[in-house]
Amino acid sequence: MIVAEDLVKEFKVHRRRPGLIGSLGTLFSREHDIVRAVSGVSFRILPGVRAAYIGANGAGKSTTVKMLTGVMNPTSGRCTVAGLEPYRDRRRTAANIGVVFGQRSQLWWDLPVADSFRILRRIHDIPDPVYRRNMALYQELLDLDALGTTPVRQLSLGQRMRAEVAASLLHDPAAVFLDEPTVGLDLVLKEAVRELVNRVNAQLGTTVMLTSHDIGDITSICDQVLVVNHGAVVHQGTVHELLRAADTRAVVFEYQDGPDPHQAIALIEARLPGVTARQSECRRIIVDYPTGRLSARQVMAFLLEHFDLTDCVAPEPDLETVLRRIYTRRAEPREVPV
Amino acid sequence: MRPIATVARYTALAWHLSAVSLHRLTEYRMDFVLGAGGLLLRVGGQLAVVGMVFRQVPVIAGWNFHQVLFLLGFSLLPRGVDRLFTDQLWIMARRLVQSGEFYRYLIRPVHPLFALLSERFLYPDGFGELITGAAITWYAADQLDLDPGIGDLLLLPLLVLCGALILAAIKTAFAALSFWTTNSFPALYAANQLGDFSGYPLDLYHPSLRWLLTWLLPYAFTAYAPASYLLFGRTDLLLWLPVVTAALVALALLVWHRGVDRYEMTGS
Repeated sequence: MIVAEDLVKEFKVHRRRPGLIGSLGTLFSREHDIVRAVSGVSFRILPGVRAAYIGANGAGKSTTVKMLTGVMNPTSGRCTVAGLEPYRDRRRTAANIGVVFGQRSQLWWDLPVADSFRILRRIHDIPDPVYRRNMALYQELLDLDALGTTPVRQLSLGQRMRAEVAASLLHDPAAVFLDEPTVGLDLVLKEAVRELVNRVNAQLGTTVMLTSHDIGDITSICDQVLVVNHGAVVHQGTVHELLRAADTRAVVFEYQDGPDPHQAIALIEARLPGVTARQSECRRIIVDYPTGRLSARQVMAFLLEHFDLTDCVAPEPDLETVLRRIYTRRAEPREVPV
Repeated sequence: MRPIATVARYTALAWHLSAVSLHRLTEYRMDFVLGAGGLLLRVGGQLAVVGMVFRQVPVIAGWNFHQVLFLLGFSLLPRGVDRLFTDQLWIMARRLVQSGEFYRYLIRPVHPLFALLSERFLYPDGFGELITGAAITWYAADQLDLDPGIGDLLLLPLLVLCGALILAAIKTAFAALSFWTTNSFPALYAANQLGDFSGYPLDLYHPSLRWLLTWLLPYAFTAYAPASYLLFGRTDLLLWLPVVTAALVALALLVWHRGVDRYEMTGS
């Protein structure tokens, strides 16, 4: 459904020099740097999949989505959505896709939401039954009628976002691109938006591509994760696979008697190679161990031997920790082809 | 068959969106009043200048008072039509590319230019210009005892339409410059100001300005060329009107498409 092949996007950034003379100089100079926002991204998302496209700020997520939706041309490489190259065939692509850029409205800002929907219905030639079914669904999940006749520009962010997501799905698109769709929403509304996306996916097989910094969005909507770093995809697979790929896991334990926590931590770090331990509560300690060198069993065996355990768990690695580790790898001096 | 279906589809959409816009007017009455007031001031000023000049001299460059009045009135007609349909270009030049909002016209299954313009169809100031322009033209024609044949009467809407297309094309090209500069409001404003010269006889101006208004920013074709035909039967410029209109529209669309292709949506 969504295919990217060696997708590259470069921006020219004009070099600016400080001070008045410098600014005047830039008026006449053609000097610029080339910033590579997306460097050779390739992936394939099958129909009906709900994929999260995630990465740290500045990883090139939004830029990729802008190319996939036809808003921007790639510098090189190509991508297709439902068989069409979006930037070459914008109008036909637009009939196939829905788009939400959480930070930017696509509604008619001086009209009530209901009017925007009526216009979209005309523009997309939405058949009556489809329009009625979708409006009923939005009413049930998002309570759109509550927005009344207030012009969009006077709506709160939460009210507007509800309408934006609904508007992107109104014409039953084959694929929907959601860029930060729950930004500014409270917990209840976030749930409602996730439920809407999931329901549309289940009933119509809509392919979903989501970018979000909200872990809840990812875990409650997506069955696949694409992790992008340095402008390239570093992982594609299920959420479960990503978690399994975690190179650090933890064992948490609580004990009674014996050495005080500081000594305990010192002991663990001295005896288990590559392990870091930290205190969470008074006698509750979290042991992070590298999965390549130790297993949970080895760690637990060591703990049983040296402490009088009252509790011991090996929690599932959580997505947030895994992602944080992937994002921070950026800080390490890795070769980035530019 | 397909072109006909496309035209029918866009006409129906334009009709629907115009109805929405008219509906919107009731909510922005103050805007309308301010716009109408501003227009009356501008046209009033132009009329005053013309009136004062003709108090001193009976004829200027071969034009008498009512002939200049006719030209002035006629120049408002294409302007009015243009303003009814392309006012959103001002907002684009000023803001839409810079703020990243322009993207929304690229994700709709209609031509992006149509998507842009249709957001502000039937801008009320246009009606004001049309009505004022028609009244002045009518009055001047009556004073001049102008008796156009049926052919000229049929030609009239076509002349106005071509003039409106020329104005729209100039505006589109200058608004599309914002794809390169992110904000092209000053350029569009300057180009639009030059258009004010079209309300007076071109014969008044220095040949270089005349040349500029005829062949570079061809405002001459929006009023001067049709008015000199209707008043004096001069066809030397008028014959170029279809060519100039077509060329300018093509050029504007070229600039527009080049711009859209290099559009960089700002921000995340």
